[in-house]
Amino acid sequence: MTASLTADIRERVQQIETMPAIPAVFLPLLKLLSSSGQDATVDEVVRLVSYDNTVAAQCLRVAASPLFGMPQPPKSIKAAVITLGLRRVETILLTCCMGQAFPAAKWVLDPAVFWKHSLGCALVCRKFSEKLAAPDGEKAYMAGLLHDIGFMVNSLVFPQEFTKAMDLACREEIPLGEAEHASMGFTHCETGRALAEKWKLADDVIDVISHHHVVEQSHNAQPLVALVHLSDLLCRMRGLGYGYYERHKVDLVSDPAWAILLQQHRELDGVDLARFTFELDEAVDEIQALVSTVFGSTPARS
Amino acid sequence: MTTITQSSVTPLPANKVEAVDPVYRQIRDLVYKVSGIYKAEDKLYLLADGCARRMKQLGARSPRDYWDQLTAQPSRDGELRQLLNEITIGETCLFRSQPQLDALRKVILPEIVAEKVKQVTKRLRIWSAGCSTGEESYTLAMNMLEEKERLLQGWTVEIIATDLNDRSVETAKAGIYGDYAVRNTTDYFKRKYFVPIDEKKLQVRPEVKKLITFSRLNLQDDSKMLFMKGMDLIFCCNVLIYFDGVSKSKVINHFFSNLNFGGYFFLGTSESLMKLNEQFHLVHFPGTIAYWKPSLHSGKL
Repeated sequence: MTASLTADIRERVQQIETMPAIPAVFLPLLKLLSSSGQDATVDEVVRLVSYDNTVAAQCLRVAASPLFGMPQPPKSIKAAVITLGLRRVETILLTCCMGQAFPAAKWVLDPAVFWKHSLGCALVCRKFSEKLAAPDGEKAYMAGLLHDIGFMVNSLVFPQEFTKAMDLACREEIPLGEAEHASMGFTHCETGRALAEKWKLADDVIDVISHHHVVEQSHNAQPLVALVHLSDLLCRMRGLGYGYYERHKVDLVSDPAWAILLQQHRELDGVDLARFTFELDEAVDEIQALVSTVFGSTPARS
Repeated sequence: MTTITQSSVTPLPANKVEAVDPVYRQIRDLVYKVSGIYKAEDKLYLLADGCARRMKQLGARSPRDYWDQLTAQPSRDGELRQLLNEITIGETCLFRSQPQLDALRKVILPEIVAEKVKQVTKRLRIWSAGCSTGEESYTLAMNMLEEKERLLQGWTVEIIATDLNDRSVETAKAGIYGDYAVRNTTDYFKRKYFVPIDEKKLQVRPEVKKLITFSRLNLQDDSKMLFMKGMDLIFCCNVLIYFDGVSKSKVINHFFSNLNFGGYFFLGTSESLMKLNEQFHLVHFPGTIAYWKPSLHSGKL
């Protein structure tokens, strides 16, 4: 990609700031989550969320989903924190904020399909890291949730170009990133990076957004990028893709990302991948329910 | 600070699985361990239905009581077999797994055709192992006939369909199916590849039958298994679930040898090899998994 194109992307990404729909709590919360994580206090998070009634109410509903672990909706954010822990409540809040961050009317990609993929990937990342006894499942969740934000940027900032890429992907049944590259000359990885840098996200999350298709290019967080890469592929093969058939064979164990993750986590060798896949299937309905709770629309099963 | 009250919060739809007795999750895990069949949470009610039928038969008073019968010797093996019969019942029909067929036609066949492009004889060999009454074999044959008009023009396609049970093989050869068996078959396929024989039954046309050789074969007969060479694709759905670990491993090793390099092995939709064979690569296609014997030049063996 040429330097001038990069500058153009950055300039156009600035337009996102002028959009009114991003909840005020979104960026401070994202900053809290992107920092190493443990330094936020419960009161700080509760105070932040108290500014936004809608986000807080949604958070309580989401906390009661079987995918997050509370049998009944909690009565307050504080109660949710006590049961689920601060980090998990932070990621739930982030999920709810993301639902309001971008005006759905202008999307090229069906927002419900996009959120189903992102939320699915977030949950698979968390589940995967639990299997590997990785230290921060919530960080993995956040990385999964945000990995494709470049598609939102392309939808909103480059709608005509992205529409063509989307048409090409559907027609040829190829991965959306490949279609972007072929028809636009750049992909959601570059535009997502520009947005992530503007939002001052942590370096490892920026790496995930930039390199989740070519894990070897990551310098700051290869294991996390590898985890997101594998989860992304798995989601796209199990009904949590972008709403069209991808003519694609995925051999996860032979993928370079597998070897990278294995170096860090020997537990990966013991994962029964077939069973992990079937377990993912059983979460698909819950993910659909969550998407309609948080993002207000029900996607068709892809 | 704004306090959100309980009444302002609408809970998510109740999770239907919560009503299921937790013993069924234990039974699900046991079934997976023994057979490789996994009943996902949203399909647990099917497992519960199967158990209920068995419980009635046995006079078991509760799921816990049934669990005890399922795990206590000497009834254990026989009862597990009965339960497997119950939970795989009704899974046999034509066009049972569209994701498998899509993977076959959209991804695998183009790959195999590209691999064999330099060979003089263009031949594709498919084995339906444990073909039962022929539904899978005919589904494959019809799809291959469709591809013979496109990707497989000029190719010879052979489908070898085998089953242990003589009566099943005879039924398969007749190729006569009722409404239930063709419930997933589109009108296009019904018109093109079937002849109605009465109001309720359809018979497969001779040109479809011509592609298939039906015969009796015991998958545990090592000497016969050695002769099933040169396969590009093997389908063996809900058959290995009845085998114990050692026999299953042996049959799977045979399948690996029977396949050409670059060939694929398919199981039933919720069935897996678990970790019984390290040579096959588990690969994903949209909505389905398969086991792949890597091609010689892929460097992945």
